[in-house]
Amino acid sequence: MSHLLKLLTGPEDIGRSRWFWAVFVAVCTLLFVYPYWLSEFEATNNAYYLLNVPIALGLALLWGYCGILSFGQVAYFGIAGYVYGIVAGNMTGNAFGPLVGSLCGLAVCAIAAAMFGYFVFYGRVQNWIVPILTLVLSLLLETFLGQTAGYQWRIGTVQLGGYNGMTGIPSFQIGRFVITGYSFYYYVLIIVVVAYLAMRILVNSQYGKVMLAIREDPIRTELLGYDIRARRLVVFVLAAISAGVSGLLYVQWGNYITPSQVGLLQASLPVIWVAVGGRESLLAVLLSTCALNWLNYTLSSEGYQYALIIIGVLLVVVMLFFPDGIIVTLARDVPSRGWRALVGLHKGKSG
Amino acid sequence: MTDPILRTEGLIKHFDGVVATNDVRISVPRGELRCIIGPNGAGKSTLFSLLCGIHRPNAGRVMLKDEDVTHFPAYQRVRRGIGLTFQTNRAFHRLSVRQNLSAVLQIPRADRPADADDRYRFALDRFGLDADSEMPAKELPHHRLQWLEISMVLAAGPDIILLDEPTAGMSIEETLQTAAVLKHLNSSGLTIIVVEHDVAFVRDVAQRITVMHQGRVFAEGTVDQITEHADVRRIYLGQV
Repeated sequence: MSHLLKLLTGPEDIGRSRWFWAVFVAVCTLLFVYPYWLSEFEATNNAYYLLNVPIALGLALLWGYCGILSFGQVAYFGIAGYVYGIVAGNMTGNAFGPLVGSLCGLAVCAIAAAMFGYFVFYGRVQNWIVPILTLVLSLLLETFLGQTAGYQWRIGTVQLGGYNGMTGIPSFQIGRFVITGYSFYYYVLIIVVVAYLAMRILVNSQYGKVMLAIREDPIRTELLGYDIRARRLVVFVLAAISAGVSGLLYVQWGNYITPSQVGLLQASLPVIWVAVGGRESLLAVLLSTCALNWLNYTLSSEGYQYALIIIGVLLVVVMLFFPDGIIVTLARDVPSRGWRALVGLHKGKSG
Repeated sequence: MTDPILRTEGLIKHFDGVVATNDVRISVPRGELRCIIGPNGAGKSTLFSLLCGIHRPNAGRVMLKDEDVTHFPAYQRVRRGIGLTFQTNRAFHRLSVRQNLSAVLQIPRADRPADADDRYRFALDRFGLDADSEMPAKELPHHRLQWLEISMVLAAGPDIILLDEPTAGMSIEETLQTAAVLKHLNSSGLTIIVVEHDVAFVRDVAQRITVMHQGRVFAEGTVDQITEHADVRRIYLGQV
């Protein structure tokens, strides 16, 4: 237990002072309490800002910590969503249908990622090609799902639905208790907090240190005795499962999914969330993902057609002026002692 | 000659038709400190990359402790006790000294040398490196970066290390200090192969010298034999 605590507070993410954890606990408490003042509709909206956090954290792990940029994480988002829809949809009336559906969704995600990743990493495909391959997989999936409109594309009682997508996907439920509204908000919040803490433990573990080494120089790392192919594959599968978690939450939230969820536009969004916050910090990615989803949702629901243009401009600005991400840059460069104490960044001391 | 820890048979490697090594045969006994010298382009670095598995030879064999490792990937050779530092420093420059040293796989293998940890701590101590330092490696002066990479390799507990021009760019004092550490490590039983241009350094540390020229082993012998070798003087030491 104390070992886990030590890993949790380890040095591979910003925010490691006592102050930080005090603020973290305070914010979590606030997030648990404040739906009391919200309508159920608002609580459901807030859940939407959070449900993309796992896919973004997975991409931060893969890209920021392990140096592999995937442009197609939405493929696993979609696979989990569709598989859940098919399995749970065929088990309506069964109290365990959604649970079985979720597990199947994640399992198929993991298997698909393992197969794809095996060829990429064991084939020693060069790093710069990986974003293209992952994006192509995602676009293939979109094209395939788009042509499933006919009645022959029915699995059991569930219709894949072509570009109109799959509708009537069951909400999650535990026993007879259907998770929707307020309870859905708490369900998502708990998953997000657990995912963040678990990944912090991972990046501070010995496995995490090797991920950083692979990011910096794969050949040097292999010559320290590591099978970098297997290591990268494992991280890739973990990131895919994280994307799958977001896919599950998405279909359980909206009860539908369309092929555009695995299309080009959606594929670019996780990369933007991660880049804007700062890919080398899980905390930064957590915050930027929530903020950008809130921004996008608010702008679109206010009727602005330009929401994605604003997000795109933000990406360009960040790439030009904050190549390490806005939050990471702020955490590192704000010259205030109190701030340093909060984020707990080490300043290099003499070697 | 005692049993060789590392041996090659007829190693041939060409890149796009350019022959980098041609029928290289070397045999390094356990516990030796061997220097490999030769003009630029003689195939020294290519030989190292074939020995540790970065490249596969077009023909020939690499035998590590009597085991044919020619087709083993690099990490499996490292796990059998080989270590390598690169010609251009490849410590993880953006990571801290602590992260660099903690990224090394300390393999729990049966034949890990009993004094591997002693060697590692000795090197850290003599190189003046703090394993807990949060200083980014890129802020270290050049010679300490070289020492950091050597220390990383030692942390894995190798039986044999290959150092590609470890003292390039170092001052005379730094070179002497590096030589002293390597000689001590060697005296504790570690086999060391060094590619080096610095003749004074080679004379100081080498027990035997292999001279490479145009991808082949041109000559091999003790320091005295090589420095007296007329053809070696002509192609390589002529300027001395």
